[in-house]
Amino acid sequence: MSQLPRSFKRALWVFHIATGSCNGCDIEIVAALTPRYDTERFGIMLTGTPRHADVLLVTGPVTRPMLPRLKRVYEQTPDPKAVVVVGGCGSTGGVFYESYNVVGPIDNVIPVDVYVPGCPPRPEAIIDGVVKAVAKLESAGVSK
Amino acid sequence: MTGITTGFGAWNPIAWLLLFLGVVAGALFLRRFGNKQYKKNTGQTKVFLSGNEEPEASALHVRGAHLYWGFVDGLSAYYRRVRALHTGLLSDYVALFVGTLGVVLIVLVLSR
Ligand code: SF4
Repeated sequence: MSQLPRSFKRALWVFHIATGSCNGCDIEIVAALTPRYDTERFGIMLTGTPRHADVLLVTGPVTRPMLPRLKRVYEQTPDPKAVVVVGGCGSTGGVFYESYNVVGPIDNVIPVDVYVPGCPPRPEAIIDGVVKAVAKLESAGVSK
Repeated sequence: MTGITTGFGAWNPIAWLLLFLGVVAGALFLRRFGNKQYKKNTGQTKVFLSGNEEPEASALHVRGAHLYWGFVDGLSAYYRRVRALHTGLLSDYVALFVGTLGVVLIVLVLSR
């Protein structure tokens, strides 16, 4: 059992990893950071390394070359952490379902807390997904 | 006597020691706010290289030869020619030595 650090409520740092997405979802994640949605006012901001992250935002269906990298990034994220899958590709395989060069969906590789469906989902949905992941961790009160 | 006053200021080892202890105490105080759930000897302590595997330290460090890269690259046309002369054959080096000696002698004779 481990408690969530207080920083989770005040400054949620998010690391984004694309595992072979078409970039549609990634652009929506970037849109969530623009002044129109301005997630930084809630303390949610992107970080350049998973070692500083509280939440992993994962997009894409996990192509074979990205498999070890996704695992490594998950391992490098400190506990407690939440994983949010953004987009249909990551949630179910989407248009790449059962493709020969895809090992996803993402929950085949790492444990997932929240799925944000859509192709691509709107920024509001992505922000909602991140907030839900934290709420889930808070209610469980345990580290992943 | 614990300090010296010079034309440029004062040196007092006790003051420096106190300052050092103060900085260490401050650093330890800030460290207490760190994440205690950090797991040692896992991926969480490894360097993040865009998700790539961390190469051996010897492959990652900048070698001494790399410091001269710009110099060697800038003079690469010269080095190409000079390297071609280094055949590793003793007779070639002796020929070069004799040739250079001949040129030096000619210059000396002509400059008299
Ligand atoms: S879910 Fe749609 S928009 Fe997102 S990466 Fe897949 S194909 Fe692209």
